Amino acid sequence: MLKRGKKDENDSPSDTSMTMSERITPSTPKPSAGQGKTIIGENIAIEGSIRGEENLVIEGALKGNIEMEKHNFTVGSRGRVDGEIRAQNVSISGELKGNITALGKVEITKDADFYGEIKAKSISVEDGAYFKGMIELDREPHRKSSEGTKPASPSGLGSIKGPTSKPVDAKKET
Amino acid sequence: MTNAVLHQQKDSEIESSPVSYNSEILELFIKSLQRQRDPQILDVGPVCEENIMFFAQQLKRIYVCDMFLRLDRELRADRDPAKVWVHLDYAPSTFDGIQLWDFCDHLDDTQVKRLGGLCHTMLKPEAFLMITAFEEQTHALPLNAFVTQINYQINFRHQPHLKLPWLCRHNRALMSILPGFNHIKSFQYRNGLREFLFKKSQ
Repeated sequence: MLKRGKKDENDSPSDTSMTMSERITPSTPKPSAGQGKTIIGENIAIEGSIRGEENLVIEGALKGNIEMEKHNFTVGSRGRVDGEIRAQNVSISGELKGNITALGKVEITKDADFYGEIKAKSISVEDGAYFKGMIELDREPHRKSSEGTKPASPSGLGSIKGPTSKPVDAKKET
Repeated sequence: MTNAVLHQQKDSEIESSPVSYNSEILELFIKSLQRQRDPQILDVGPVCEENIMFFAQQLKRIYVCDMFLRLDRELRADRDPAKVWVHLDYAPSTFDGIQLWDFCDHLDDTQVKRLGGLCHTMLKPEAFLMITAFEEQTHALPLNAFVTQINYQINFRHQPHLKLPWLCRHNRALMSILPGFNHIKSFQYRNGLREFLFKKSQ
């Protein structure tokens, strides 16, 4: 019988419950205490649903649903996901086909291809992202922000006046 | 190609974007939709966070199908631009309003007719279609997103990832290639933009 070594007092609980994907991905960042993260590497393909209690990053392929209401779900730039997502916050930089229900924010970066429906408290979308779908936001918390939508980025605007400048008037009605 | 002037956009030709303006037609479009119960609206892009927030707040939800990026991808791959229409595969009578922005300015007459036909199918009876169009330019404009701000103010944000042709049309030419729609109202602005609101005829 093997003798069990003395446990290091500094070991976090997550060290003893390391997932397979963490073992096979040497570059995986060490999860912070109480906020673990699993990364599915780009050479991994999974079919089946995932339910978890820590953050999840997909760099590979996943066909199946994700349920992690209290944690964040990320599709990395090389990730491809086909399934329904239910998570706290969702970030997409790769390809996602499916519906998202986020209790917090959905972030879609410029490299993302998204097909599906989003129900979330808030959303951020970078110019250049491909998007085909429906967005429904939790309207209550945004009532204030709708009165002061953030101004457009001034980059690449040529001679465009900023939002504080007086816009041109209607020239004529036809 | 008839009634259209083609500008192939070159970086050296890009001068300036139009100045911001208050969109009379967008306000009319939104207020018309707000009078309806649970209105469904489609925005054909380019994908713009501010517009998503604006429409989602004004109308509860918004459908987005970025046809600008789809057309850009087809053209870059040297494929037939008509292939983009496969993405507008929504069921008949789905929407109460479609926001085309200036997408027609990047299509030839044949494709604008095709787009008009698809919009006619996707819109419910008496639903609204909003189009923006630039006046004929002596130089190619940078391709911008129309960014909606408070009080229906429209600012412009350059979309350097998109490279599309420009085809400017006179009012009559634009209206003549959109059969099946009744012209409700249009405005012409000092910055060279024209806006049109159409209603689907029965």
